[in-house]
Amino acid sequence: MSDIEGSPGSSMHGVTGREPTFALSVASPMVPTDTTAKFDLPVDSEHKAKVFKLFSFANPHMRTFHLSWISFFTCFVSTFAAAPLVPIIRDNLNLKKQDIGNAGVASVSGSIFSRLVMGAVCDLLGPRYGCAFLIMLSAPTVFCMSFVSDAGGYIAVRFMIGFSLATFVSCQYWMSTMFNSKIIGLVNGTAAGWGNMGGGATQLLMPLVYDIIRRLGSTPFTAWRIAFFIPGCLHIIMGILVLTLGQDLPDGNLSSLQKKGDVAKDKFGKVLWYAVTNYRTWIFVLLYGYSMGVELSTDNVIAEYFYDRFNLKLHTAGIIAATFGMANLVARPFGGYASDKAAQLFGMRGRLWVLWSLQTLGGVFCIWLGRANSLPIAVLAMILFSIGAQAACGATFGIIPFISRRSLGIISGLTGAGGNFGSGLTQLIFFSTSRFSTASGLSWMGAMIVACTLPVTLVHFPQWGSMFFPPSKDVVKSTEEHYYSSEWNEDEKKKGMHSASLKFAENSRSERGKRVASAPTPPNTTPSHV
Amino acid sequence: MAATGLLLGLILALGCFSEICVAIISFSSLQTTLVVTVSHPRRLLRAGEDKITVRWGLNQSLPAGTDSAYKTIKVQLCYAPISQVDRAWRKTEEHFSKDKTCQFKIVKMPYTTGNQTLEWTIERDVPTATYFVRTYALDANDHEVAYGQNTDAKKTTNLFEIQAISGRHVSLDIASVCFSVFSIVSLMGFFFVEKRTGRKAQQ
Repeated sequence: MSDIEGSPGSSMHGVTGREPTFALSVASPMVPTDTTAKFDLPVDSEHKAKVFKLFSFANPHMRTFHLSWISFFTCFVSTFAAAPLVPIIRDNLNLKKQDIGNAGVASVSGSIFSRLVMGAVCDLLGPRYGCAFLIMLSAPTVFCMSFVSDAGGYIAVRFMIGFSLATFVSCQYWMSTMFNSKIIGLVNGTAAGWGNMGGGATQLLMPLVYDIIRRLGSTPFTAWRIAFFIPGCLHIIMGILVLTLGQDLPDGNLSSLQKKGDVAKDKFGKVLWYAVTNYRTWIFVLLYGYSMGVELSTDNVIAEYFYDRFNLKLHTAGIIAATFGMANLVARPFGGYASDKAAQLFGMRGRLWVLWSLQTLGGVFCIWLGRANSLPIAVLAMILFSIGAQAACGATFGIIPFISRRSLGIISGLTGAGGNFGSGLTQLIFFSTSRFSTASGLSWMGAMIVACTLPVTLVHFPQWGSMFFPPSKDVVKSTEEHYYSSEWNEDEKKKGMHSASLKFAENSRSERGKRVASAPTPPNTTPSHV
Repeated sequence: MAATGLLLGLILALGCFSEICVAIISFSSLQTTLVVTVSHPRRLLRAGEDKITVRWGLNQSLPAGTDSAYKTIKVQLCYAPISQVDRAWRKTEEHFSKDKTCQFKIVKMPYTTGNQTLEWTIERDVPTATYFVRTYALDANDHEVAYGQNTDAKKTTNLFEIQAISGRHVSLDIASVCFSVFSIVSLMGFFFVEKRTGRKAQQ
């Protein structure tokens, strides 16, 4: 197989969580560099960066990346800020287990809707204002925690703070205006993974802030309320930074973005139809609910679990809980990398097996976590569980771009929503009732992960096969072109609307694994991983 | 009480053979030798303000020398069963290492014969719940050897309620409102200023 340089992701509204290690840049013959532009990074004809230089803050591309992921990180911090302080809050507000569980469900449910609205907001106002509006309008909801005096108020405020997780959409949208489509996969994956780390960082930050405020003389039931001012202020600071330092486009011009938006767009109804009628979409919605979903659920319950089960101090429980979320730094990209490597050798079948293995292993370790009776074993099980679940998230988005070319955006959005829905459902069934202790809730959640990962065995691509079955023997059906152009009807094909899909089909031949050699690949065309 | 205590103790001892029992002390192995009474000014007490008076002493009907091993007294505030419902973090367990019934220490002091009295102001971190008071007698190794409580064995009589502080302050509320208003106003400010400069630039 030829050396794959600049490999690529062509997901425009890309939410691929994977990170092909070689796709740090796109070489010139592939995408011509605009030499007239005066930017810190080499850019293409639209002035989108072709290179991803991680430790630079150069305006506008890398600066946008950092503003964007840190905003998303901040929203994760505030959404899960209550979780490590629950042992104090539950005494102050006289909460029962149902109340705590319901609040956890509420915290992840709000964003299912706000993410849908955010797409429209970004279209209208641009991603910079989309992000700034959300982050600054959700700051008051964080400050509202100081008013809460009972279970109802607590649940309502956590629900409202949860809306801020829609910064995920503005983050990914903003990246796609700044980075070339061939490296957008890596960029978006890194931004998503690092944003998710906020769920871990908050377990460390909030008990620390609480401790400091207590040492300064405050009583516990007031100290936790003051502690919420920290995430609230972070919202305001990031909002102001985004407004003052950010810009919508490399050239800083919002109106031309809006003009571009009018260019022949696909019909929403058709795009939705092809997303919804593809059975693979729904299998991945379910699966993501049991990789990302369980990650969010665990963010909500793990600190309290360690505090109660092992009689730890609040900040010790926080440190342990933090390692769960912080594993996202490497675990999620690792999942994408493993998926890519498996694809090189075994094609799409490899990707499916990698996803199934990682997610099932995560489930097994989750069962173990619930049953562990000693602290070191529990911590070990938790870390292994986190790696499994988060890597599975990364591996999921290694496959999603291949389900559909036409409806990638909606399928990614539905999958993301599935993650939140799975989280809400899991917390409702296992952590909101006194029927299960938290320990057995965790074990049951692990069992459910293993069970709900089985449907991935049903995912079959006629051109690439599935986990157990080979590709179709039919000469026509077994081509990538047939699969991707079947999303267009004859009229649309006559208008040539499916040309991008055909190009994608040609490039996706790499998903045959080692069998790619048998399909004629024109020279100088890099098989692009999306 | 003694009979059931003995029975439970026996069952537990049998159970212990299947576990590694290293200095596991269980509640049912203790004798009720202390008599505890609590008096309070009203039924619903306020944390941080009201006081309760706790009196404890050895049960005079017991033979002399029962308290020879007692070195320290630990008086604790404990949750009544009604406040433990749906709250597994307050659950009563047999083994002391796992038991979460009594989470607040009123006092720990050396044991002296005769009756003792203590007036205790309810601390500000005590949550809203229904409580009783239990007194443990500890030996030289700091292990519980006997106890007494101001309620019956089923924990239904002589309970009292405590109302916690809310934790809210007017200054905190005002700060909240100010920060929130600042956030919204600065956002709107930026938005309209940029719109206006954008319009000016186009003119």
